Amino acid sequence: MAETNEEVAVLVQRVVKDITNAFRRNPHIIDRCHMHPAASKPRLYHCMEREHGSSIYKMRKNQQRRLGRKELILSGTLNPIKDLHLGKLALTKFPKSPETWIHRRWVLQQLIQETSLPSFVTKGNLGTIPAERTQRLIQEEMEVCGEAAGRYPSNYNAWSHRIWVLQHLAKLDVKILLDELSSTKHWASMHVSDHSGFHYRQFLLKSLISQTVIDSSVMEQNCLRSEPALVLPKDEEAAASTEEPRINLPHLLEEEVEFSTDLIDSYPGHETLWCHRRHIFYLQHHLNGRFPQSMTQLSPADSPGGTLSDLHLIPAGSQLSQAMEVDGLNDSSKQGYSQETKRLKRTPAPDSLGLEMEHRFIDQVLSTCRNVEQARFANAYRKWLVTLSQ
Amino acid sequence: MKLYSLSVLYKGDAKVVLLKAAHDVSSFSFFQRSSVQEFMTFTSQLIVERSSKGTRASVKEQDYLCHVYVRNDSLAGVVIADNEYPSRVAFTLLEKVLDEFSKQVDRIDWPVGSPATINYTALEGHLSRYQNPREADPMTKVQAELDETKIILHNTMESLLERGEKLDDLVSKSEVLGTQSKAFYKTDGCC
Repeated sequence: MAETNEEVAVLVQRVVKDITNAFRRNPHIIDRCHMHPAASKPRLYHCMEREHGSSIYKMRKNQQRRLGRKELILSGTLNPIKDLHLGKLALTKFPKSPETWIHRRWVLQQLIQETSLPSFVTKGNLGTIPAERTQRLIQEEMEVCGEAAGRYPSNYNAWSHRIWVLQHLAKLDVKILLDELSSTKHWASMHVSDHSGFHYRQFLLKSLISQTVIDSSVMEQNCLRSEPALVLPKDEEAAASTEEPRINLPHLLEEEVEFSTDLIDSYPGHETLWCHRRHIFYLQHHLNGRFPQSMTQLSPADSPGGTLSDLHLIPAGSQLSQAMEVDGLNDSSKQGYSQETKRLKRTPAPDSLGLEMEHRFIDQVLSTCRNVEQARFANAYRKWLVTLSQ
Repeated sequence: MKLYSLSVLYKGDAKVVLLKAAHDVSSFSFFQRSSVQEFMTFTSQLIVERSSKGTRASVKEQDYLCHVYVRNDSLAGVVIADNEYPSRVAFTLLEKVLDEFSKQVDRIDWPVGSPATINYTALEGHLSRYQNPREADPMTKVQAELDETKIILHNTMESLLERGEKLDDLVSKSEVLGTQSKAFYKTDGCC
């Protein structure tokens, strides 16, 4: 029987390692843990140990209190990476478990804070990108979230963890946001009623908008001239000399609208898809009202004053100072939908051309659909658009 | 968006005969899989039993949708899917499979067939390919022939039963379900 803390520490390490190996050999052990899905994490590990036939707690018979996992990690007894791995296994059985996700974030924070190596490195003239080690952590979390999302419909805990990782580990790095947008597209198309999955895409687009504004304003400050007419050529030079990814925001939003149209036509009767469309329309309109032409043209390929699609007619002669007003945009990804609704009511009415196209889309859906729910959602969307222009 | 099973059956006068079935139970936990498969067979047979010849129906049960097509010549097909899978594509699949089956397997074999004796091997492939509806059926959006208004909708399995009949009784009497599955049904109340 173990008496000293050191002996316990060694045994804990061994037990964790044994459990991990046992799971690797036979992943189905976890299915024998018949527990209520809301069972707390300590009981889950208790159960896993029981199945495996060993127990950390047997060894601590004389102690009053069990060592918590946080203490084990802080004391250096338990390797945080191993703990993450064990958590990953637990999530295969309990993909929603709030405690597991919360603990996971704590471990990740320990990992970022404790290391002597930097999490971010500078690259090029502007900006920083996540270091390789951080990138690997991020990728692993994306994978864990993806798997958990597949195991339980609209898994809010998994998706909010995913968002947290992008905010705190990736610091909303633009390239990662773009990668996530494209890599989750297929998943979304195969889970058309997964509200959390589509909310994630809305978060990505909102973050891209806010990050683009920040990058542009940094570029503005670095430029020598500040007149709108001269900004673009300077931007082109600046952009060409860095490795910043080129983002065409209006194009991205337009693509998302097309994606939404495609899904609504193929899979009639899913409210999530219509909800998503409202969000995208709102983002397009929001983008519309906030930026003068020069700010949105980050791609050197765009000729000045020409290529923005007609859908996004921006009021001419906007003051640059107005465009720098980025309050709220930074936080938009963190604030709730109700905030956005309030802001929506304050901003000027969306341009008539965009609205017209949406009404035509609704007409087309209503004339061809035979699904009762689809008709209901289309009509509700129409009503919502009408309230926007009031 | 998921398809769980695809079955071809014969609606005989006396009873319903399972001719061939394909399943995808990979999303279920390991120890549940054989029971789930048995329940899907049980459900498919029951639905065909309670559907008239020459009809199409969709039966909802919890998060599952069972789509059935019983032809006038008594050949029937059942697809069990989740509630995201577009029913249009499910019925297209059934039409296609039954058409192909009737061309490859002699009618005389239908009333007395079983999965062991029937020679039709395309079912697994169809099930797998149709997991992605847009790849399998690019013309999903263009729905010419099928009149969706003629599809009968049932909101529960119960609505298929006669008055006074209980699903529990049918489960315990069933020859298709093993004892473990029946016990499983009692504790978890699943179907």
